[in-house]
Amino acid sequence: MSVFGGVFRQSSARLFSTGTCARTRMHAVPKLRELDRWTEKRGVFGVYDNIGILGDFKAHPKDLIRGPVWLRGFSGNELQRLIRKKRMVGGRMLTEDKHSLDKRISFLYRRFNRYGKHR
Amino acid sequence: MSFPSHAVMSCCPPDQQRARMRIITPSSPRACSSHLNTFTTGLGSQLYTEAAPGAVAKRFISSVSGESALPSNLRLPPNLIGVAPQKRASPSGSDLPVLRRCEADIPAHLAPAQTWLESLGSRDSEPLGVVDLHPDVFSVPLRLDILHAVEVWQRNFKRISHAKVKSRAEVSGGGRKPWNQKGSGRARHGSIRSPLWRGGGVAHGPRGPSSYYYMLPMKVRVQGLKIALTAKLAQDYLHIVDSLEIPTPDPHYLLDLVKHRQWGDSILIVDVGDEFPQNILKATEDMKTVNIIPAIGLNVHSMLKHESLVLTLEAVKFLEKKLLWHDVRYVPLYPFKLPYSDLP
Repeated sequence: MSVFGGVFRQSSARLFSTGTCARTRMHAVPKLRELDRWTEKRGVFGVYDNIGILGDFKAHPKDLIRGPVWLRGFSGNELQRLIRKKRMVGGRMLTEDKHSLDKRISFLYRRFNRYGKHR
Repeated sequence: MSFPSHAVMSCCPPDQQRARMRIITPSSPRACSSHLNTFTTGLGSQLYTEAAPGAVAKRFISSVSGESALPSNLRLPPNLIGVAPQKRASPSGSDLPVLRRCEADIPAHLAPAQTWLESLGSRDSEPLGVVDLHPDVFSVPLRLDILHAVEVWQRNFKRISHAKVKSRAEVSGGGRKPWNQKGSGRARHGSIRSPLWRGGGVAHGPRGPSSYYYMLPMKVRVQGLKIALTAKLAQDYLHIVDSLEIPTPDPHYLLDLVKHRQWGDSILIVDVGDEFPQNILKATEDMKTVNIIPAIGLNVHSMLKHESLVLTLEAVKFLEKKLLWHDVRYVPLYPFKLPYSDLP
């Protein structure tokens, strides 16, 4: 009935609600964070990612990564990352950090290689 | 599996006019009597709708005769304010000369894609001519999955997450057994920093700076660029320009030109080489949505973020040369950054 009314009338939607469906309370919906989508960083994100294929292979996209030395262009599980960190920067780490690193490496080595289904 | 070449455009065939309308709600809710106002007052000041009234009307003509054949949710209110972008005439039927042919050979079964060559010199300048674009770069099948994969790669391969929490071995203290194993009546514990304790270490938390680095195959990244360029051309968002010379360093000139020619909200300007004309550099310096990059910096994410892409003729030549080489190259025996005798 309401469908036929919609076809024949010029503007068919009601200006009020009869309140039968969708009794969803929207009183506690958090407001969306106001983000500027065009900051300097967001506007030029991704530029030079194809520097290898468009730039004669003189540079590689992994050279663009900014971060710890032992993680640039490398991915691995925790043990692999820690071993790489020890090899690359272990010589200049602080004593307590080095000690924690060594303990963590030996714990992970034993866990991966001695216990469980995947050894 | 390859998608049909016009999968993106199936919802809006190219021969229809695309109307991008803006509904501006008045400040007082009683002023506008349109039925759409009831939906827009809660959603902020502006609402975009896209409709193609002519063709949609043809599709939805119902057998029941009424005053208008459109269903109520597709009927546009009479007080709509908006500018429908004029669809440009196709360059294939025009008298203007073809000012640029492709340097590389085009396969016999393909025809070059054509588009207008425009000028930034004055706001009202007419197109200077027609430009041929290589079909293997600008008319490839639109693989949206490859586009998605390249975009996700661009977001993630640079990501290094510095989240780290201390494990029970790293939290200070907790070497001594807090109370005897038996006799105290309390639960048995070995250290006060076990994950069960408040203030104790986290058992399986994020460990150390970790990287999300991975590389997609080179040809996949190249194909992603070609698909993005094809999509821009097919959706009328690609503009070829002879050079980036503009008469004034005033940003308003560029904004006016963009608005007059209905190029969109955000523009990405691409040119070859590290020197750009001073005027355009000054004009785009403080503009957030109009960005100028060298051709080496072209990438899928920027092309998707900016609505319109403006390429110079040299940039088109450079891109075609770089992207077509991957179709005919050999498998690398060693990384390309090491010298090859036949590569420049």
